[in-house]
Amino acid sequence: MGAIDVSHLSKHFGDVVAVDDLSFSVEEGEIFGYLGPNGAGKTTTIRTLLGYQKPTAGTARVLGADIRDSGALTRTKAHIGYLPSSPSFDERATGATYLDFHASLKGDERRAELLDMFDPPLGRKIGTYSTGNKQMLGIVQTFMHDPELVIMDEPTAGLDPIKQERFNQFLREERDRGTTIVFSSHILGEVRRVCDRVGFIRDGHLVTLEDIETLLERGGKLVRVNTATPLDPETADLGGVVNFEQADREAQFTFTGDYNELLALLADYDVVDLDVGEPPLEDVFMHYYGESDV
Amino acid sequence: MFEITRYEARSRVKGSLVLTFGVGVFTLLIVGLFPSIAASGVDFEAYVESLPPAFQEGFGVSGAALTTLEGFLSTEVYQFIWLLMLGLYIAYTAGNTVAGDIESGRLDILLAAPVSRTTVLVEKILSLLVPIVLLNLVVPLFVLAGAILIDEPLDFAAIVVVHLLSIPYLLVCAAIGVFLSVALMRADLAQRGSLAAVFLLFLVDTVSAGTDYEWLGTASPTRYFDPTEILVDGTYDVGGAFVLLVAALVLLIVSCKRFQEAEL
Repeated sequence: MGAIDVSHLSKHFGDVVAVDDLSFSVEEGEIFGYLGPNGAGKTTTIRTLLGYQKPTAGTARVLGADIRDSGALTRTKAHIGYLPSSPSFDERATGATYLDFHASLKGDERRAELLDMFDPPLGRKIGTYSTGNKQMLGIVQTFMHDPELVIMDEPTAGLDPIKQERFNQFLREERDRGTTIVFSSHILGEVRRVCDRVGFIRDGHLVTLEDIETLLERGGKLVRVNTATPLDPETADLGGVVNFEQADREAQFTFTGDYNELLALLADYDVVDLDVGEPPLEDVFMHYYGESDV
Repeated sequence: MFEITRYEARSRVKGSLVLTFGVGVFTLLIVGLFPSIAASGVDFEAYVESLPPAFQEGFGVSGAALTTLEGFLSTEVYQFIWLLMLGLYIAYTAGNTVAGDIESGRLDILLAAPVSRTTVLVEKILSLLVPIVLLNLVVPLFVLAGAILIDEPLDFAAIVVVHLLSIPYLLVCAAIGVFLSVALMRADLAQRGSLAAVFLLFLVDTVSAGTDYEWLGTASPTRYFDPTEILVDGTYDVGGAFVLLVAALVLLIVSCKRFQEAEL
């Protein structure tokens, strides 16, 4: 039995199918990335797993508790940490008062240790916090009772790159201590850096589950290049170039081939600007799974 | 147990203290006005007779009553402030019980803790007792102090009974707010709806009084709590208080059921 076992889970809102016949498992002690474009059904899945919404069909077990059994699920929550996307707090309370309150509900044996790493200004009212500070308060709240399973919805939004890297490092350490971590994201690069395994969701369907190595090979990079003279349209024929688009001296494509070949090609041009970055998730889907694959 | 109540209650204390002090001072002023009005020699009976029946009913005005401190207080403080204004205030406050938390997403983190929805709702409702209890404990002392200051006899026991029996009434107002909060799940709608509901029920009872449609008023909580009756006639409607308690309980149970089933 995994930490989470989802079996034929569906959630409809009237005619809108948010999640459709979803089945997958999250193993104990892994970092599972739940990846999908905005609106794909990630948040709905998470909210259904936590009992905020009832499944239309199918079910899931979270740490052994059936999500349709609200009593069992409530008891199990003593061992779960949850961080919603852009979490909101009681703005009138100070960070310290807020953590005291949640400590009274579920415990806080790791609070001090977490506050060494993530340090929102606890003496101030939460209403005055920046997005990053709120996110840090949320992280402390999520982990302070030493949960077995942590579910996070877009957790790194609002963290600066240094805090984000510290957070990733922290997640790996947590995993090594045996904590199971699930987090959703629409940013491939984020999931790449920390996840052991990834599930893709698109239009409410689970598209694929694959380990991170496969994903790394398939993901590719988005390349934008501006050259003094336009690129030869035949560049599109270079191995690993997909979705080549060109407007005068600007060219854009997804690149999954050998970087050296690309650099050799570009060396023949006067490069004005070059940007190599993460491709939008939607593009990854389009290229590798086709638009109507599901 | 009661961690949520404690937390919510703490956030209500300051506002409730300010409100209690304000109402207390207002009551003192009213008591202070009484000697000059009693001494004015105005024929209140004739004046009151000239008012529309609904007005007489709504503010519990009766000519004879205005000549005693208890009667004066029942008209100026209890019928107006307690029945109407505080009823509205409590209903408005209760309208925000869970709706605001649902809207902002605050409820998500709370429900991630090992607490059931019922626990959350019941404990939040309990925190509404802070203003209700504080007002009813402290304001009678202002009344007593005022009576002593103006050296006027006062049936303090009757005052205490009014405050005691106002608690079931205010609980119904709170229950109306909680119900709308759960049913509408939008704070501004629930709060405005609660204001409208309590005011409408007050009006129905008032306007229908003395007409063929007086039965309409049986649906209004104001029908079951009459400060004037207690303060002027000395009769207590304990049965009415019981009806109010049951009504509040039923509304809260329905709210809990609805909240358990709600899609958040």
